[in-house]
Amino acid sequence: MKRMVRILDGNIFALSEDNGDMTFDPPSPSGFFVFDTRFLSTWRLTLDGEQLHPLAIHEPSYYELRLFLVPGNPTHYVDAKVSIIRDRWISDSSFTERLTVLNHTCEPADYVLRIDIDSDFAPIYNVVWPRATRLRGYREVSEDRLRLGYRRERFHRATEISTTEPAAVDNQGMTYRIQVDRQGRWSTTLTVRSLVLRPDGADVREQLGHTHGQVGAQLRHDLSRWLADAPRLHCDWQPLTTTYQRGLADLAGLRFAPLAMPHETMLTAGLPWSATIVGRDAILTCYQTLPFVPRTAATTLRLLALNQGTVLDDFRDEEPGKILNEFRYGELAAFEERPQSPYFGGADVTPLFVVLLDEYERWTGDGQLVRDLEDTARAALHWIDEYGDIRGDGYLWYRRRNENSGAMNHCWKDSPEAICYRDGRLPGLPRATCELQGYAYDAKRRGARLAREFWGDPAYADRLERQAEELKQRFNRDYWVEDGEYFALALGPDGDHVDALASNMGQLLWSGIVDESRAPAVARHLLGPQMYSGWGVRTLGTGQARYNPLGYHLGTVWPLDNALIAAGLRRYGFVAEAGIIAEGIIDAAQHFGGRMPESFAGYDRELTRYPVPYPAANSPQASATGSTFLLLRTLLGLEPYGEHLVVHPAIPQRFGRIELLDIPGRWGRMDAIGNARITT
Amino acid sequence: MSESVRAFFDDLTHGGGRMLRQVSGSVRFDLVHARGVDHWLVTIDQGRITVSQGGAVTADTVIGADETLFLRMAHGEIKPLSAWLRNDFTADGEFRFVIMLERLFAPPKGAHHPRDAATMPSAEPA
Repeated sequence: MKRMVRILDGNIFALSEDNGDMTFDPPSPSGFFVFDTRFLSTWRLTLDGEQLHPLAIHEPSYYELRLFLVPGNPTHYVDAKVSIIRDRWISDSSFTERLTVLNHTCEPADYVLRIDIDSDFAPIYNVVWPRATRLRGYREVSEDRLRLGYRRERFHRATEISTTEPAAVDNQGMTYRIQVDRQGRWSTTLTVRSLVLRPDGADVREQLGHTHGQVGAQLRHDLSRWLADAPRLHCDWQPLTTTYQRGLADLAGLRFAPLAMPHETMLTAGLPWSATIVGRDAILTCYQTLPFVPRTAATTLRLLALNQGTVLDDFRDEEPGKILNEFRYGELAAFEERPQSPYFGGADVTPLFVVLLDEYERWTGDGQLVRDLEDTARAALHWIDEYGDIRGDGYLWYRRRNENSGAMNHCWKDSPEAICYRDGRLPGLPRATCELQGYAYDAKRRGARLAREFWGDPAYADRLERQAEELKQRFNRDYWVEDGEYFALALGPDGDHVDALASNMGQLLWSGIVDESRAPAVARHLLGPQMYSGWGVRTLGTGQARYNPLGYHLGTVWPLDNALIAAGLRRYGFVAEAGIIAEGIIDAAQHFGGRMPESFAGYDRELTRYPVPYPAANSPQASATGSTFLLLRTLLGLEPYGEHLVVHPAIPQRFGRIELLDIPGRWGRMDAIGNARITT
Repeated sequence: MSESVRAFFDDLTHGGGRMLRQVSGSVRFDLVHARGVDHWLVTIDQGRITVSQGGAVTADTVIGADETLFLRMAHGEIKPLSAWLRNDFTADGEFRFVIMLERLFAPPKGAHHPRDAATMPSAEPA
């Protein structure tokens, strides 16, 4: 695959080849994307008919990029008599590119600079899952601009490209015939605006008071403030510091202002496939980053509350009280060819919402939000029993009602074959994966605290705690696979064990549902040869029929999963095991330039020596980015306790000393410092 | 104005809708029909709904819709958010009230409770 470069501002982004060109080629994800729509699919620059090649790429920040290019093939570099600089950035929902031509000769020179422009206005879904797409829509040429547009009934998207220097504009691009002085330079700025139009010609977003993102100076100021507000990290082991810094910058880039809360920011799930609101990813990323950058959690909780399900809707797998899983603004959602308007097919999101609400208050002391969201949280807790417990046996089950375009699996392992038996068979429906029971248990316990301390309802609190305790007892009995001493991945429709050995049981430790007596066996499996690759815990153990080191949820290693597992191990007192996972995952991130990957291959570390990238992973991915932060919290043993922050470090040798300064919370700001334990 | 529109708003005043207590604000509906435009103002005060009919008064959000489409949404036949994505009606003001529309309108017809759906025939592997 060609190397791609990108710039982004939350849910607005541009992907291109490393010479800056976007080439319309259906399997290629290149383009300029806004509102889940590809507004540009062709953006190709030539000089005197020749393609350009990159000499250097400079990425000063997530929203700007500078490419130095020369015409011709790389072998011609030494003879370059002319070079081109492409400066591009995203601001104000637009993609802007400044082209600069530098004449290196001692004579004036004439050039023909051409930029090909086109668009297929593809909904992002068709880019994620490449399918037949074609250039479509209308084209309008005027003196200094080209407009591409696509209409379907009243639905209307348009791309407007304008130039500061005169150009010959045609249906498919712009041509500059220019003369550049000896040793001189010439430049023009092209602005590409995305328009989401109504029949009256107004932009939908503007009519809703949406600020369209920020412009350059504001963005720079905002980024430096974001970085300055976060705790400062010093560590003897450089990879941790590098990954932390990179993670902070990536989180900044993933922020966007949702339409419903245009003055606040939350995180998109990842680039390029998930640059939108994904309930699960938003919640888990906020959970992981609460001790560092707590503000996005409040926005996330409020926004998800606004969108909480209120009715039964089979197409969207919606039920009252359910928290959404994905929101898309594109054509497929609009015309109901896909259900993301929004889609509710996730059985984990609703309990996790309650988990985050409680955790948010523990760190920030913002009791007002807990009171404001009382109805929402109660409806979420009610959903678990009324709509999640499909079989009426006290477990959280799922089965999609939208059998055409809904998700087969309503848990974080949402690929169709992720939930399987050891021998490779797929269970029928409904299914009750084990980690869902852990989330439900945790949600009830945390809901009880909120009811008692904020909602003045001790009777409800008692009831929730009783339910949680019963669930825990039942779970440890019904999910335990005696002959292998581990928790089954799921219960099948007949209540039988879906008995694959999978990472899901690691998350049970995070939720606290595992009986103390069973935890050592679980920890042994997680760090054992079937599950642990040397870098991290695999999603599915080797020896399972469907194990594949490159299987998305069937053998790859996910930093998010591992961060939750490490937190769980620590919770049950397995500090050395938690440290091993933290070290392995941070070590792996080094091989990705410090950017925590969504997932990587599950090969044995001994086999490949370096972690092999998963080919189609998002990057950056919010929940993976968040993993660094939760691992750091686990290493330092950070835990809010009443109004105080408790620090109880357990740090492997390799990290040396870790200092995390100015940790925000209900205590104001506090420092946490830990030294590696002495090995004996 | 159609009787169905009046019936819908009457019902809303008398405890209809599923509004959240944390929501306050106002939504004006400009409903277009063959004889003109009717304005309805829905005021939400911590989840409590009152309705008045009258002029084009100021509101946090103004929904402009064809009366027929409005009624189909109000009766749960068309989902407001996807209709908005298609530009089948316009929204000016605060988007959160576009999301809240579903809480004013009737649920989709013929939808299933997950427990009932679990026992229905299916094309899925069993």
